Amino acid sequence: MSKNKGLETDPEVLSRIASLNIHATKLVEGLLSGHHRSRHTGSSVEFADYKDYTPGDEIKHIDWKMVAKTDKHQIKQFEQSTNLKATILLDTSGSMGYLSPNPKTMNKMDYARTLVASLSYLFLKQYDAVGLSLFNESLINYVPPRSKPSHFKHILHELAALSPSGVTKIEDVIQSIVERLHGRGIVIIVSDFLTKESSIEKKLKLLVSRGLEVIIFHILDSDEVSFPFNGDIIFESLEDDPPIELDPVDIRETYQRAIQDQITHYRSHCAKLGIDYIFLETSTPLEQGLTYYLLQRKNLGKH
Amino acid sequence: MNAMNFNFISPLFLFGVIGIMIPVLIHLMTRRQKKHQHFSAIHLLLQSKNRSIRQSRPNRKFLLLIRCLGIALLSLAMANPILSMGGSNNLGTNGPSATVFILDDSYSMGTQTNQKSYYNQAVKTLLDINNSLPTKSIYSVVLGSSPSRVLLNWTTVSEKAKNILRSSQPTSRTTEIGVAIKKSLLLLEEVPQKNKIIYILTDRDKNGWNEEEFSSIVATKSHKFFIVDFSEMRDGINKAAVEHAEVQQEFLSNNRVIKVKVKTANLSQSKSISKLKVSLWVNDKEQTKETLDIPVNSSIDKEFSFPMQTHNLINGEVRIEDDALLKDNFRFFSYQPDRTIKTLIVDGDPNIVEHQSETFYLERALNPFTSSLSDIQLTISTLSELPKRNLLDYSVVIICNAHNLPFGYEQELEKFVLRGGALFITLGNQVNAKFYNERLGNILPVFLKSLHQTQKEHEPFRFLIKPSKHPVLKIFKEQTLEEMKSIEFQSFYSVEPREKSKFTTPIVFTNEFPALIESNIGRGKVILFLSSIDRDWNNFPIQPTFVPWIQRWIKYSANGLDSLIQKNLLVGDPFNWENPPKGNRAFIVTPEGEFMLAPYVEGKISFKDTFTPGIYQLYKSSRTSSSEQNTSVPSRLPFGAQSVGAFTVNINPIESSSIKISNKEIRSLLPKTNLTFSSSNQKFNVTETTERTPLFTYFMMLLGAMLLLEGWLVRNE
Repeated sequence: MSKNKGLETDPEVLSRIASLNIHATKLVEGLLSGHHRSRHTGSSVEFADYKDYTPGDEIKHIDWKMVAKTDKHQIKQFEQSTNLKATILLDTSGSMGYLSPNPKTMNKMDYARTLVASLSYLFLKQYDAVGLSLFNESLINYVPPRSKPSHFKHILHELAALSPSGVTKIEDVIQSIVERLHGRGIVIIVSDFLTKESSIEKKLKLLVSRGLEVIIFHILDSDEVSFPFNGDIIFESLEDDPPIELDPVDIRETYQRAIQDQITHYRSHCAKLGIDYIFLETSTPLEQGLTYYLLQRKNLGKH
Repeated sequence: MNAMNFNFISPLFLFGVIGIMIPVLIHLMTRRQKKHQHFSAIHLLLQSKNRSIRQSRPNRKFLLLIRCLGIALLSLAMANPILSMGGSNNLGTNGPSATVFILDDSYSMGTQTNQKSYYNQAVKTLLDINNSLPTKSIYSVVLGSSPSRVLLNWTTVSEKAKNILRSSQPTSRTTEIGVAIKKSLLLLEEVPQKNKIIYILTDRDKNGWNEEEFSSIVATKSHKFFIVDFSEMRDGINKAAVEHAEVQQEFLSNNRVIKVKVKTANLSQSKSISKLKVSLWVNDKEQTKETLDIPVNSSIDKEFSFPMQTHNLINGEVRIEDDALLKDNFRFFSYQPDRTIKTLIVDGDPNIVEHQSETFYLERALNPFTSSLSDIQLTISTLSELPKRNLLDYSVVIICNAHNLPFGYEQELEKFVLRGGALFITLGNQVNAKFYNERLGNILPVFLKSLHQTQKEHEPFRFLIKPSKHPVLKIFKEQTLEEMKSIEFQSFYSVEPREKSKFTTPIVFTNEFPALIESNIGRGKVILFLSSIDRDWNNFPIQPTFVPWIQRWIKYSANGLDSLIQKNLLVGDPFNWENPPKGNRAFIVTPEGEFMLAPYVEGKISFKDTFTPGIYQLYKSSRTSSSEQNTSVPSRLPFGAQSVGAFTVNINPIESSSIKISNKEIRSLLPKTNLTFSSSNQKFNVTETTERTPLFTYFMMLLGAMLLLEGWLVRNE
């Protein structure tokens, strides 16, 4: 792969990988530090039941201890969770590359990268398979889900090497990816959802209907929420919109209302579809966001 | 179609419009730099922009526009804009106007009101109107007194022109609006401006609006007439005027008492005057005074008399007490008492019996009283005494019924006549016609042909009596002429003209034969009476008309008659002197003391510059001069110049009249014209409200509104 070449050569990518690695692992370890005690009670190694061995079952699954005790061939049954496949869809369109003129926090792309890296690490740490799909108007890169710990490096590399460009077309991407997702799994969509598409909900519904668990991370820069600009500004699009000249003061309130409407819209629709919707502003510390998410899931008893 | 004309009184303030730069510069300097910003949610911005009502940027531009407008309005207001509405019907453009001011400078405009004369007010009004003329306008000023004349010919509003106007004064002339309007229309034809205006600044004295003049005026609707009346502002009233003052000298008493006839008028239409003081002044001394009661709108004749103390020229004036118009409160008169004429009478037929002597009647007629009161001083001589007499001592030599003259004496007489002496020859039974015809050829223009005689029972010869313009005869009017018809002549000589001789026959007999022959020889005069001067051939000497007749002939022949005819002229009348002293230069000293050479036109003096009332003195130089010297004007009166008389110039009393012309009458005089009437008090209502609207206030109000709006916008910003 051409990108793999950059893995060795591009020092910037390398440093970003290192940074992501440290950041993500630190983050996840920090998060999980409070959960050590219950480490084996959760997750995919959870014991479910015994069943009599029947030909065709894998021999490795026979509980030899039980054979020794009772001379019965019993097979341990575990939760399916060990087969969890998580696919992370990361929006790499132009809009994700927004850089604030007055950066106070991480920029949006870095925020998303770190989030994805953290999630990947989290999944891998739980021995779940995790894959990564990068998209803008189409799927531009696909890392199939693997549960090997070494897979993390692949993901990190992809994250580090990506550069935002193109137009967001989530609907098309969901349509195309839905074929690749076999069986039950988790689809995590990380995007700013700044798109002119109007029927994303339908595509989300499609995912849900396939038995996939969908989690949405809606990431926006603080600037995109509060619109803090002043003075005569010509706004140039990061995607394909024409430039627009205006006084931010004039439209600030209207804009804020519009963006809030959008958030509310997604939140309400996601709730209807049973989708976990997490809105994250870049000003929100990532730990806080993740913690919130994990707590939420725990409360719901999902993992 | 109304034309609108937009002008500025102080156009320099228009440069203030440049001040618009200030807010524009401030706007540009404080304008926020346009930043380029990459942004993600452009479609949301677009959506929001379309939804948002608030538009602060155009607002700021609007604010800038208002500030610019504010400054522009301020400078426009300071430039004092004038909106001229209306205009005459064919005013196609809003261009500058051509205005003719007819400034009535007749003496009635000198009427005082509030220590200012109508004329001063009129000039002030003129300058005020001038100030409000559109820029690049030109104007002329025509003086409305008679004869009207152009004071300023097409000029723009300049200080020099203003000074000329300010320093001008009302004249002593009468009004002549009609001619002034004609002159104005001619002036207006010269200029290309389409906006033609005539202002008439007058006191509307009716005498100045002569119907005949107006009948030939062709004014059109394109000319706008503004008639500004100054007579309505009168505080004081021109109560009375001296209309006439003349020395009324009676024959024979002319050397003792001077009688002056004075006509004083009450000009008021409603009030009678009681105890009006009238005084008579001679050489700046009051001689006599009276008080008069004059009824409403009438005049009173009053004769003043005072003793004559010297035989010098009398320069006098009649004064009445002051009223609002001073110029008609006095009137000048002058009187030149006759000078003594030295006369030599040669008696060709003396007799011991006094009354049978040839010169008996002549002597009595020329010097009626034994005491020497007459101005003719007589010397009687016989023919034999004649060579002893020095002819240079006499002005007039009368030869009565002489048979012939001492040997060679005809040459003496010729010299005497050529030098300016007067020779009066009468005939009689002693006359030797042959001697006269042969020896007096250089003196007499005629031959004595034959003696005509009638018998006692036959009808005598008589004068052919007809009114004559001859200086001697013109004073004889109807009654006297009737009396002269009764004079009977039994004998006279008929005459035959000599070759190339020039003579006139002022008097003829009924049979058309000459009775008196007058001829000019050299600078002198020869008069030949073809009958006798005593009662031998006629009964003329015992007729009452004989005395004035012979006196006037003597005075006339001695060039003394002009002093008898008082010249009472009105302002502007030319002074004509039919028989000025020949060979001598004549000078005129005006009432202002100005000295000038009398202008000769074809041997007569015609002096036209009589526009200042007062007494004009006439002088002649003592020495005769050649024609070359006549061309140079001496700087002062030559030494030894003799006073030969005076004439008076007085104002025309018609101008004092208080009768004013009405609007209706003016409309009928100027039909089909665009007339506007106003009084001096309301003149600006006419010129500014209906015609010219100053926009200063409106612009300032608009500016105030702009400032309020600006403040409101800034507050909302």
